[in-house]
Amino acid sequence: MKDTEIIELQEPRLSVADQFYVPQMLVGMGTTLKHMFMTLTGKDRVIQYPEEKREDIPVVEGGMNLRTYRGVHRLNKDEGGRVKCVACFMCSTACPAHCIHIEAGESPWADREKYPIQFDIDELRCIYCGMCEEACPVDAIELTHEYDIVGLTRQEMIFDKEKLLKMYDQTVEKEPM
Amino acid sequence: MDWLSVIPPFVYIALVAFGVVLVTVAYLILLERKVASWTQDRIGPNRVGPWGLLQPLADGLKMFFKEDYRPGGTDKVLFTTAPAAMMLVVIVAMAVIPWGGVHRVETQISVAAGQDVLAAAIASIPMNADLVGEPRVVEAGTYGIMYEYAFQIADLSIGLLFLVAVLSLAVYGVVVGGWASNNKYSFIGGLRATAQMISYEIPLGLCLLTIVVMTGTLDLGQIVEKQAHYWGGVIPAWNVFAQPLAFLMFLTCIHAEANRSPFDLAEAEQELVGGYHTEYTSMRLGLLLLSEYAEMIVTSSVCVALFFGGWHLPGLLGPDAQHPAVTSSWVVVLLRCAVYFIKVLVVIFVFMWVRWSMPRFRFDQLMMLAWRSFIPLSLVVLLATAIALYFAVAQDESFRSLRRIDGYTALLLFGVNIGLLLGAMVLSRVLPPPPLTNRRIGIPGSRFSHTPVPAAGEVEAVVQTKREFLVGVSNQL
Ligand code: SF4
Ligand code: SF4
Repeated sequence: MKDTEIIELQEPRLSVADQFYVPQMLVGMGTTLKHMFMTLTGKDRVIQYPEEKREDIPVVEGGMNLRTYRGVHRLNKDEGGRVKCVACFMCSTACPAHCIHIEAGESPWADREKYPIQFDIDELRCIYCGMCEEACPVDAIELTHEYDIVGLTRQEMIFDKEKLLKMYDQTVEKEPM
Repeated sequence: MDWLSVIPPFVYIALVAFGVVLVTVAYLILLERKVASWTQDRIGPNRVGPWGLLQPLADGLKMFFKEDYRPGGTDKVLFTTAPAAMMLVVIVAMAVIPWGGVHRVETQISVAAGQDVLAAAIASIPMNADLVGEPRVVEAGTYGIMYEYAFQIADLSIGLLFLVAVLSLAVYGVVVGGWASNNKYSFIGGLRATAQMISYEIPLGLCLLTIVVMTGTLDLGQIVEKQAHYWGGVIPAWNVFAQPLAFLMFLTCIHAEANRSPFDLAEAEQELVGGYHTEYTSMRLGLLLLSEYAEMIVTSSVCVALFFGGWHLPGLLGPDAQHPAVTSSWVVVLLRCAVYFIKVLVVIFVFMWVRWSMPRFRFDQLMMLAWRSFIPLSLVVLLATAIALYFAVAQDESFRSLRRIDGYTALLLFGVNIGLLLGAMVLSRVLPPPPLTNRRIGIPGSRFSHTPVPAAGEVEAVVQTKREFLVGVSNQL
């Protein structure tokens, strides 16, 4: 950087009240006092989470639109109840977090060549970007609206094929494919 | 002979006071979190117990069960001593706070024939009590005596001096803790605390002196007693009404003294991680945090005693109008303690309110505030108070004996304070502005200027130029 590129700013000269600090301080303390009274009279902005949820509140009032929410994954099933995935590896290639691990095997069914023997997603590494959903050619992987998933260990948070298929059963009513 | 005279009063006052104070300290942390959330439109902790009232218990348990970790390279002894010392100092300082005025007790003693009555009376009263009047004969062998004692742990005649001396030691906890941690952030926190202390002790002491000049005593109990009357029959004679400017400076200084925002540079969590307690965990951290709140209680108590009339509340006076501090009723003593405590809580609320309203001062701003405005201003206030009192005393002979500020003197002092405030405002416009700190100053050879790095032979010349340049810069400022 050259000296000529630097603009030195002068502080504006303070008014007497500013310079004395106290009047301006009292103004600031007035603001906080106003907020204290507002909160104490019930105008707080708290959503008591487990009892109240953001999706139950209108968006204009600070709620959340679940339709665009990207939560935990599910693996879709077709009409026959078989896993839809054809183990093409598109999703794991697209995944920026490298958290999808697929092991492909020869499919037992006639209408496709491969299917996933193993399908693990590390939900702790996932950044919920939705790239896998975009990449999938057969709409087999999808992000649901479930966000409150918990586990006691890291191992528990690596979702395998069974868990992901179960996720489909749990959410298919609410969010059809 | 009842249990009251077996145990000296200061023992049970101490036990009750420490119990109350320590529980309060725990609840102050909850209050702080509540105040913080209220100012931020939140509710605050409300899950543990009704309205979150059991939260301090949960916090305390958490502190106890955390791993007591001591990082490598720390000074083992000092690392543990610092939190303990800090807490100890604050608790010791609590001893001179005049909670409930003077309690007078009437009782009877039986004296065997031939025994010295006065000696027996003195032997029968509690340790720190004083005999009032002569023992009077009730019947043969039984004497009625009257004694009184100040309802505080230690009734020191130099209470204020003791308090200043002890409270200044609290900064050692910060400095020693910061140094022993073997961590740069902690160390910087400790250094800042030192610099802050030597700046703020001076105006603090001068404000205290102003009150001492007004009341003519260093005994906190007597300072309170001298505020326990009315000006013009209605206005309580609290020093805050006579010395608003001194009060304002005192309030600011105790913020700095208690390391509270906006002067919490020693623990500035945004810059210094946790400041001096970065490396502390478990109950050692707990002690540091608790002592911060305990210190807040002490400084607020001093503030209440000096400026808000201590236990004095309009309508709550002792039976003796000449000595309003003396009361013979337990109920009044306890009520006084309650009044005192509520006043302290109000001041503490102001502490918290300020914390969540003010941004932190930058270090040079803090120094500027102390050295360029508070120290001169408090010196002038002290001088003006002394002069005003001199004229007041010349007029009023009874002042010399009672040393209670009457209404006119109070008005005079109030006028002097406001006059000084306005004078300072005018002066601040007239005086040249302070030096511009934190400005980028191009120094030859630094990465901000294009002066080439000198060759080996030219160093001498470059140093010379640099020196001239710096002298030039400092002349400009
Ligand atoms: S949502 Fe993004 S990060 Fe998560 S698995 Fe899909 S592609 Fe990977
Ligand atoms: S989920 Fe879709 S993209 Fe991923 S391997 Fe299966 S078919 Fe391919």
